[in-house]
Amino acid sequence: MLQRARDYLNSLLLLEVLKGLRLTGGYLFKRKFTIQYPEEKAPISPRFRGLHALRRYPNGEERCIACKLCEAVCPALAITIEAEPREDGSRRTTRYDIDLFKCIYCGFCEESCPVDSIVETDIYEYHFENRGDNIMTKDKLLAIGDRYEERIAAARAADAPYR
Amino acid sequence: MSDKITLEIDGRSCKAALGEMIIAVADREGIAIPRFCYHPKLSVAANCRMCLVEAEQGGRPFPKPVPACATPVADGMKVQTRSHKALEAQRGTMEFLLINHPLDCPICDQGGECELQDVSMGYGEDISRFSERKRVVQDEDLGPLIATEMTRCIHCTRCVRFGAEIAGVRELGATGRGEEMRIGTFTAQTVQHELSGNIIDLCPVGALTSKPYRFSARAWELTERDSISPHDSVGANLQLHVRRNQVLRVHPRPNEAVNETWISDRDRFSYQGLNAAERLDQPMVKRNGVWHDIDWTSALKLAADGLRAVEGDTIGCLVSPRATLEEQFLLQKLLRALGSGHIDSRLRQQDFRGDASDPQRPWLGVSIAELEQQKALVLIGSDLRAEQPLLAHRIRKAALAGAQVSVFNYFNVELTHPHQSFTAPPGCLLVELAALAAALELRGSSDAVRELIGLAKPEDAHHALAQQLRAARNDGNGLILLGALAEADPDYTLIKALAEAIAIGSGVRLGYLPSAANSTGAALAGALPHRAPAGEVLETPGLNAREMLTSPRRAYLLWDIDPAADVLDPALAQVALSDAQLVVACSSFRTPALEQHAHLLLPISAFAETSGTFVNAEGRWQGFQGAVAPPGEARPGWKLLRVLGNLLELEGFAYDSARELRTELETLCANSSFDNSARALRPALKVPDIDQQLMRVGQVPIYASDMLTRHAAALQHTPLGESIAVHLHPEQAGELGFAHGERVSIRQGDATATATVVITDSVPKGCARIPAAVPGSETLGAQIGPVALTKARG
Amino acid sequence: MSFRTAPLTVARDADKSSLFTDDIRAAIDREIAKYPPEWKQSAVMPTLTLVQDANGGSLTRELMDAVAAYLDMPAMSVYEVASFYGMYDLEPVGRHKVCVCNSISCMLNGSEELIDHVRERYGVAPGETSEDGRFTLKEFECLGACKDAPAVLIDKVYHECLTPAALDKLIDVLD
Repeated sequence: MLQRARDYLNSLLLLEVLKGLRLTGGYLFKRKFTIQYPEEKAPISPRFRGLHALRRYPNGEERCIACKLCEAVCPALAITIEAEPREDGSRRTTRYDIDLFKCIYCGFCEESCPVDSIVETDIYEYHFENRGDNIMTKDKLLAIGDRYEERIAAARAADAPYR
Repeated sequence: MSDKITLEIDGRSCKAALGEMIIAVADREGIAIPRFCYHPKLSVAANCRMCLVEAEQGGRPFPKPVPACATPVADGMKVQTRSHKALEAQRGTMEFLLINHPLDCPICDQGGECELQDVSMGYGEDISRFSERKRVVQDEDLGPLIATEMTRCIHCTRCVRFGAEIAGVRELGATGRGEEMRIGTFTAQTVQHELSGNIIDLCPVGALTSKPYRFSARAWELTERDSISPHDSVGANLQLHVRRNQVLRVHPRPNEAVNETWISDRDRFSYQGLNAAERLDQPMVKRNGVWHDIDWTSALKLAADGLRAVEGDTIGCLVSPRATLEEQFLLQKLLRALGSGHIDSRLRQQDFRGDASDPQRPWLGVSIAELEQQKALVLIGSDLRAEQPLLAHRIRKAALAGAQVSVFNYFNVELTHPHQSFTAPPGCLLVELAALAAALELRGSSDAVRELIGLAKPEDAHHALAQQLRAARNDGNGLILLGALAEADPDYTLIKALAEAIAIGSGVRLGYLPSAANSTGAALAGALPHRAPAGEVLETPGLNAREMLTSPRRAYLLWDIDPAADVLDPALAQVALSDAQLVVACSSFRTPALEQHAHLLLPISAFAETSGTFVNAEGRWQGFQGAVAPPGEARPGWKLLRVLGNLLELEGFAYDSARELRTELETLCANSSFDNSARALRPALKVPDIDQQLMRVGQVPIYASDMLTRHAAALQHTPLGESIAVHLHPEQAGELGFAHGERVSIRQGDATATATVVITDSVPKGCARIPAAVPGSETLGAQIGPVALTKARG
Repeated sequence: MSFRTAPLTVARDADKSSLFTDDIRAAIDREIAKYPPEWKQSAVMPTLTLVQDANGGSLTRELMDAVAAYLDMPAMSVYEVASFYGMYDLEPVGRHKVCVCNSISCMLNGSEELIDHVRERYGVAPGETSEDGRFTLKEFECLGACKDAPAVLIDKVYHECLTPAALDKLIDVLD
């Protein structure tokens, strides 16, 4: 009975509110964690698995040899490959599609690639505006690879000691 | 001593026959021993050393591991396939093999189905101790069918042994020594044998792979579907490898009774035709000479109205002998319900005078497997290797086992085993046969046969052959086979009469080599003018394939044939078709001749796209299911006929499935047995004038046999993909004044064409071999018949 | 499955009397007579030797084809034999053949030294012919003379326990 009366009186004094405000007030003067995206970006690991890319060798030759291991390993069946002999007789893809709606960014494709051709870059800011844009074709993937080769190579190099 | 012995493999007691190798017994028992060079159909080479096992005999172990493939079993032998010593030996062999084998599995077509890959997963080490350079071998071009990557070769020599033992030509060999050893042709030539595609299957690694399939898919993407080959009358059992509704390659399905483990290159690579650009995938109608796409409803209505508009008797139907049993059955039902008995699938036969006396249901005469046991074989009018590649292999086996093979043909056929040739131009071949009959001291039952025997002057060779046939009679192992080329002879009936006389006189059996996958089935389906379903004899036969063209019909129904290639006389066929009021062509391909002469094109499924049944040469019913969907609007043939029958309001077309049709046929044919004896006396015939008139012999080259094959690009680029040419004997060419390579014009009645001269002594004098069904032969006349050759102008 | 017991013969109707000269044919026939008639292809090695000697020490594709035709065997089998054994040459050679054994015993006893010596002194590497066409140096597999290694076969004569100086003497007397 006495306890209940004391609680009632305390509630009139808004003590909980003040306690809460004290915590808030404390953080007001502490170092901030919030970053100002998009002006600021969070740091990411070299193992980050973002948008896909197809890489080339330094001499400009595409790396992909159409072994189809990525297609076989893909748990979401997001990759479709067709291949045939190129004019010089080498084994090359004629079609390399990744459906980004199906992709679950597990990274198995880059793990399985024997020639480090398909990679997941650190790019995570992308969007589609048209139906069908979600299919990343071979040309698009190679273009991404060409554009970000330095970053991709740097990320691979940074991670190499742990592989 | 009994021929059964007992031995112990991995602690399991096994029964075996004396002389068997350990690996064969282990295979039967389901005990896996790794191997590369051993193959049950080839001789033992024991050169890969992968099958090393530990063995002991009579309590004494062999001092070293022994190769299981080359160690005969013995009573009481104990074999350890997984003991420490055996595994050590196998692991060591694997390490040696991997020294020079490139690690390029990701770009190797064999990757995922490679014996070396599988075994190395079990026995290989993660790391190679070999740090020197690997061997590199220059590749060789083996032609358009087989791709090579000789650096991958592990020298198992299966391909070399296949050539020597199965094909009978040593095209590949192992030259050089030690590290310099390489498998190849040495002379850089194309591999030519018609069974050579089998080395793709035999190769345990990716050194020999299929060129048309190259890099197009991986083994794990493919679904296997069983099927039956639609080409020769063996009905080779196939496995179609399908991905995304496309047949990507064809493998054999082992069946000892039919194709053993082999298939011919035609069976293996003809699938390319399925994806050809010339596939008909839309019903089409010709209006004012222009082809228009139409939908099925209007197309079928047009067909039904067109057929209803003409009198039943004026419809003629030419059906491919490669159509399924179900299709042929429904077609004859449709035709006969419309009041026409004019249906025929013997498109390449010239002489039908024997129809009334022909055997009711002709067949091979023996089972395919029994061919191997024959002691004397006489082939009449057959380009055996082109017509029946797999039967040629069986006959080769018989020849190697000591059978005497004799060939009566219009030109020398190149066989890969010892044989005796009796070569003569058409007409003279009758005399050659009669000489054999005379050597057998036969008199002949009819005037014509008697007259021919009177003309004949048997020589030593004929007497020797007569002796062989008599000797073979005693154990019932003699066989006379009538080939597909004889069918085109203008005196086929006389050939048959002579063959029958010889068979009866010498006491050997007579057989027919049916030309196509369902030639034998055509009699059961009733797709012949003189046979009702189940091969019942029709007393009032309809018009046969030739009569339908010589006395033109008002309407024609063509079933999966190209009138410019698939008939005996393309010129005659095209004239008859161009005068017809209605030509309905159900076809899986568009060809120039069909586009020119047909009025309505109905797209039907090709092989692999429909279910059905083929009855092969030995009378075996082999059913198959569709593996892929037909392209575009094309539909399975039996469904098209069912709907057409219903539209025409005919009885008996209410089928729900192909299975139902097959059951009906099976019930119908339950009591139909095959028999090659003539039903009646052969009719009285006139002996043809046997003069030295130049005769054309138009054999169908192996890769021109049907529409599907003709559209398979890779096959056409092989050396066997013949084109038109006039093959002449040197003396004949000299008399006519032609030089090798000269352009000449060919005239057969009104039919003409031009071609170059090839001078060869494989063709006898009086004979001009001009292949049929090849580009350039569309305008020519009968496959066998008189021909005039003149120098081409200009 | 079996061990193959019968030879793979090729039926040929080529006129055998047009192949080779009468002397060579007679010599080949003497070799053939040493074997059962169905195994006449066993005479392929002496035949190749005869034909090679008559052709100035080397074989050509045409000659191998002729040998195959003469012995009724597949041409491929002749190529296999001719390319396997070191004593047959498929490229033109010099007037003499100097064959230095380089298998294990000879190698351990200094055959490499001999080869290096010839290379330096005459400018001829294994497989090459001297500029004057006098001799062809060949690196040979075991000559079967391990007891007196290193061994060198010059034309048809064995020379054993050789030193570079001894080899020089032998080469210098070649014409």
